[in-house]
Parts: sequence; structure tokens; C-alpha cells
Amino acid sequence: MLKLFKEIRKTGSATLGYPFSPIEMPSGFRGKPEHNEKLCIACSACAIACPANAITMELDPDQNFITWDISYGRCIFCGRCQEVCPLFAIELTTDFELAVMNKDDLRESCSYPVARCSKCGKPYASAKEVDYSRRVLESVGGPAAADIKKVDLCLDCRRFDDAEAFAHQAPDRKEA
Amino acid sequence: MLENDFPNALQWHPDPIVLDAKVAEAKQKLLNSIKRSIYVFRVDCGGCNGCEIEIFSTITAVFDAERFGIKVVPSPRHADLLIYTGAMTRSMREPALRAYNAAPDPKIVMSYGACGCTGGIFHDNYCVWGGTDPILPVDVYVPGCPPSPPSTIYGFATALGILDQKLHASHNVAPADEQVPIAFPAIPYKVRVAFEREARRMSGYYYGKQIVDEFMLTLTKDTKDALKAADSLIASETDTRKRAVFMDLKALLMSKVVDE
Repeated sequence: MLKLFKEIRKTGSATLGYPFSPIEMPSGFRGKPEHNEKLCIACSACAIACPANAITMELDPDQNFITWDISYGRCIFCGRCQEVCPLFAIELTTDFELAVMNKDDLRESCSYPVARCSKCGKPYASAKEVDYSRRVLESVGGPAAADIKKVDLCLDCRRFDDAEAFAHQAPDRKEA
Repeated sequence: MLENDFPNALQWHPDPIVLDAKVAEAKQKLLNSIKRSIYVFRVDCGGCNGCEIEIFSTITAVFDAERFGIKVVPSPRHADLLIYTGAMTRSMREPALRAYNAAPDPKIVMSYGACGCTGGIFHDNYCVWGGTDPILPVDVYVPGCPPSPPSTIYGFATALGILDQKLHASHNVAPADEQVPIAFPAIPYKVRVAFEREARRMSGYYYGKQIVDEFMLTLTKDTKDALKAADSLIASETDTRKRAVFMDLKALLMSKVVDE
């Protein structure tokens, strides 16, 4: 009997102290995705990549803001959002303490001002994204930066613009 | 849940269970006074069994939920707390209600896992109700896919009022004219794209991105000699798989270097 108690004392306890003492999760643990609102350009890459549609982007009814929204209740912690983010705006942390008593507490959102098309005035992207892509194009330079003015156009207007430019070019090509 | 344009009036919706005033009061009393020793019954409503595995690993020796008196029981008649896992398929609605009605009042209902909380990745499937709360009054939501054993214990602690919840709903509005600095301005854009493609080809999504970010951060940190920084990164890496990717990226970098 005494031998058994000695053995038990020698072996010690395998049980972790959590929740009375903090627990450290391993570095590869995929926990709560942390959104850095300052670094985010609201490009919707994460919303498109999210397989569970936990992240959504929606234009407000008055069309002045685009709202990034995450529901931690729907998130499957796959890390696709971190994967596709062109900046470091969303990263999976090791935070696992997500349980809530009220479902609304599982939502987090942030609104970003939208940019309007310089031709037709339709909202087409977030202002931050347009600004960012303009600066990236400037830094790339060369032929990519030649059409830098078209950054201010929405997709429809850009298509129209391209078609018009092509129509102007076409007769010259025929002659050549 | 059908979330398309199908007319709402033509869809059948489950009647939500409304708690009796007396039962609600007793439940509030239970939630305030009960600190430990609850009996748990789990109901699988169309889950993948990942949540079940995590529940059972919560009661094993390492996490040992039984030291708080939390015990998984085989019948809802013994249960104080019902754990609903899975996205609540249409055919599991009836059994879920039977388990709920079989448990003695007052009882606590826990939505477990991403599917239990909101329907998770199956939220817009035609044959699910999208989580537990369209069917039953839920007290505590434990998100995760599946929730790890510590987060399960945290969920129990939240339900029993031992720990406070950390998450709170938040909504912010970003100020206009906020500028984000370009990521890795020192690396030419096309080279950066080539790096990212190569790293993803070598080690897949998620890890590929982490590795290429580490590599590019090291390159840009040393403003004098980037190649030397890459060499020291490769030398200091102990994981051979990761080192192989770093060496591959360095070879790619060498192929992009042009003598002036």
C-alpha cells in the first residue's frame, strides 16, 4: 500500500490546472481570428475565401459604408482568411475562450467608407482599397501603371472605357 | 435554413419553445447557485462526431472535467445540462425535442461547436435548421470546429458562472482618409508574387504563407545584405522541411538577381 502511494507521488498528476491556472496553447493552435481594423483595406478577399461564410461584406442601405462582419459562431478556424489577406489584417491567435451566454456577442464588425466611381457615381469598392491599389500600381510602375486613372472607375465603366479605346484602335489595325 | 428567395410564408418554421415563467425563474436560480457537479447529456443532432471526440477528451485524465463533478450521463433523465452538437438536421429535430422534454426542469442547454451555434459550414444546407437555437432556448454557446477541451471547460465554467465571458459584440467605424502602408515595399511586387507562389507550391496554403512571410520579413529586416540574412535564416532553422522551403526560396531569389 505504502509502495503504491510512493509510486503515485513519484508519478505526479497529468491533469492540467485549467481553468484555475492559465493554459498555454501550442504555437500552431488555430484559435480566434483577430481582425486588425487599421491594417484592413476591406478588399473582401477573406469574405470570398471563407468557406463557412463566417466573414461577410455588405454594403449599407444608404451606400456610404461597406461593413466587414465576422460571426465567431460560424467560423471553422481554417485560416483561409489569414492565407488570402494581402496585408496582415487578420491573423489566427491562440485565444480559445470564446464561449458566450448571448449569441449577439459572437459578432464583430467594422464599417469602411466606400469609393464612388468618378464617371457614374456608383459605389464600387472601399476607399481604402482603391487608395492602396493606386499606391501599389505606382510602386510597380511600367505598363501596369499606365492606366492608373482607371482605378477610379467602377467595373462597368472600365469595361466601357476599354471597349471604347479598342474601337478607336480597330481602324488603325485594319489598315496595318 | 432556406435563405434564398423562396417565399417565407410558404416555408414551415419550427415553433420556438417558450419557457414557463416558473421554470425560467427556477433556471435562473439554478444558474446562480450551481457552481459545480452537473450531469451532462449530449445529443448529436447531425454532427460529424468531431465534437463528441472533444467532449470525451474533456473527461479524460489530462483535462478531467470530473474533478468539477461534471459527468457525462447516458440518459437525459439524469441530466442538468444538455449539449447539442451538430447543425440540427430536419430528421433530428424530433429526437432533439424528445431529449429536451425528457430532461427534468430546470435544465441548461448548451450549443456546442460551430454547427450547434449557427449551423457552421452547413448553415445554408437545405436539410438543416441551422443550429440549436431555432428549435430550443439556448443558454450558452461554445464556438469552435470542434471546440478544444480547454474551450469546452471554459464553456462549462461560463455556463456555471465561474468565469466571465470574454467576447462582446462590437461595431466600429473606420475613419475616412486612413492609409495602410504597403506590405514589403522593399521587395519588387513581381518578385513577391513569385515568392508567394513558390512557397505555396512547396508547403500548401496557410503554412506556405507563414513561411514566405517569415522569409520576406528576414530579407527586408537586413537592409545591407539580404542574401546573408537569408543564409543565416536557413542556417538557424532546425526544421528540415521548413529549411528546404527556405533554400528553395533563396534559389528563386538568386535566379531573380541581376548584376549591374
